[in-house]
Amino acid sequence: MPTTAIAPDAQQAPFLRRVFAALTGESVGWAVGFAITMTALLSPVFVTPWPVVFGRTLFVAVVLLLAFTVAGQWRGAPLPRWVVQLVAVALAAPLATLSVYLLSTGGDLRAVFGNEARLTGFVMIGGSALIFGLVLALGAQYRERDAQVRAQLLQLALERESLQRQAADAQLKLLQSQIEPHFLFNTLANVQALVEGGSPRAAPVLGSLIAYLRAAMPKLHDGVPTLGQEESLVLAYLELMQMRMPDRLAFAIDVDPALRDLRLPSMTLLTLVENAVRHGIDPSEAGGRIEVGARRSSDGAAIVLWVEDSGRGIDESQTPGTGLANLRERLRASYGATAGLALLGVEPHGLRAEITIPADRA
Amino acid sequence: MAPTTALIADDEPLLRERLAGLLARLWPELQVVAQARNGREAVELFEDHAPQVVFLDVRMPGMSGIEAARSMVGRTQIVFVTAFEQYAVKAFEQGAIDYLVKPFDEARLEATVQRLKDRMTPPRESAAPDAAIEAALARLAQELHDRGEGRRWLQWIKASVGQSVRLIPVEQVAFLRSDEKYTLVVWDGGEALIRKTIRELADELDPERFAQIHRSVIVNLSRVAQVSRGANETADVHLSGRSEVLPVSRGYLHLFRQM
Repeated sequence: MPTTAIAPDAQQAPFLRRVFAALTGESVGWAVGFAITMTALLSPVFVTPWPVVFGRTLFVAVVLLLAFTVAGQWRGAPLPRWVVQLVAVALAAPLATLSVYLLSTGGDLRAVFGNEARLTGFVMIGGSALIFGLVLALGAQYRERDAQVRAQLLQLALERESLQRQAADAQLKLLQSQIEPHFLFNTLANVQALVEGGSPRAAPVLGSLIAYLRAAMPKLHDGVPTLGQEESLVLAYLELMQMRMPDRLAFAIDVDPALRDLRLPSMTLLTLVENAVRHGIDPSEAGGRIEVGARRSSDGAAIVLWVEDSGRGIDESQTPGTGLANLRERLRASYGATAGLALLGVEPHGLRAEITIPADRA
Repeated sequence: MAPTTALIADDEPLLRERLAGLLARLWPELQVVAQARNGREAVELFEDHAPQVVFLDVRMPGMSGIEAARSMVGRTQIVFVTAFEQYAVKAFEQGAIDYLVKPFDEARLEATVQRLKDRMTPPRESAAPDAAIEAALARLAQELHDRGEGRRWLQWIKASVGQSVRLIPVEQVAFLRSDEKYTLVVWDGGEALIRKTIRELADELDPERFAQIHRSVIVNLSRVAQVSRGANETADVHLSGRSEVLPVSRGYLHLFRQM
């Protein structure tokens, strides 16, 4: 007689509806099975024809099921629900059996207890109903508990999956924010122009685009990202931009070769270089120069990375992109609070972004 | 018959050259009389040459293609060239304005050329009423302006630190406190003095994020950990992750009534 786990909203429903909801086809099946089993066991020792025995046991089974189910709605103190259910089944078994016999004797109590055959029948049906009923009730409770545990496990698995999905979403956002469609389509339009014109520059430019795209998709490369990788990514990006705006962009990269194995959150320099192009060079008719570099500080205590442009500089009311805030977070995740990202004004115009990583954290 | 003249404006030279090359093949009678590298140049060259067709890149340094076009409406056939400005494409569609999406292929350009030719015989018949084009461009220019400028609240504080000028994002600022002559900026990376007064800063900072709580103090609201009531209708503000306690004077106490 298992009951199904009760949905939260069912708790608010009227009592009868809750009972009805708890009476599943499965539990009725168990009750019928219970009656058939009892009939099969008891028929051989009964003189009464088996359909009558079956009718009696079926009645008892249905009453026990109802008692179990109704008691299952118990939500109060001091007795736990499972105890109430067992007590209900234990009481219902003799009472239901008695009712069956009283029905068959027209309500005559003496006719039941005075007749030895009927008394034996009562004891046998009532006794086996009590034993089987309790066993089935315990089984149902066990299965119910089991279902609850499984539901909880499922819930946990769902929560874990949703967390994983959120992490993947964040990753995807990083991906989407990195490869700007405007950048991609404009660059492709340039590549198209080179290809159509049969320019020998087409192949190397396409190479740069591939290098950039591969690196800008965090999922597609694994292993610890290094300054060396970042350097080639920045070079690929700047070459693409220089192809697009040869009259407005000049650049130089000066990374100390000894630092190329430095582990660095991916997109660290690229974020700064993209900002320099987007906010410094691109909006300026005259354009400018971008300098990217990495060096150990003179006292050796820190590693300094920088991206400096001579572009338009920053406007005090210009909304900062999410790129910088994200970069700060990634740096903190990698090096703790000790790493710093500072933005400095450049004379006569431009911006310098400087990352300082303590040498002992690098 | 005089040849049809055209102006191409794009900040990317390869794209200008490609368009010019394709046009030479698809529309041999068309003469590209000028190429511009930005919106300002486009307007100047347009005034010099009065071309009958203008190809304008939407996003260019300085003046955008949209703004440049506003002085040309009614005097020429305008075709916008855009890479991924979906909002612009939508506006072009609604305003029945010609446009090309980069990277475009020859067939697409050919269709545009055909449309332009059809429209120019008989001459001076525009795709849409000039007024409609003007209205669509005005809306787009406004949208571009909004996107570019963002809100006008102060987002960066410029502070001299040693020899250099540091740009501090305002979200990193914990509080600002005025001294006799200067204002002290306290942010996650340290402290610095700036020349702006508290009064100026109170005007320039986003009131959703910063509040003046005292004649001489502005606090970053996201850093407020706790407000404790003091005697005589005053209060103290405690900051998260910092030891400083800031005074709230009577006139500003209402800010924290609901907290």
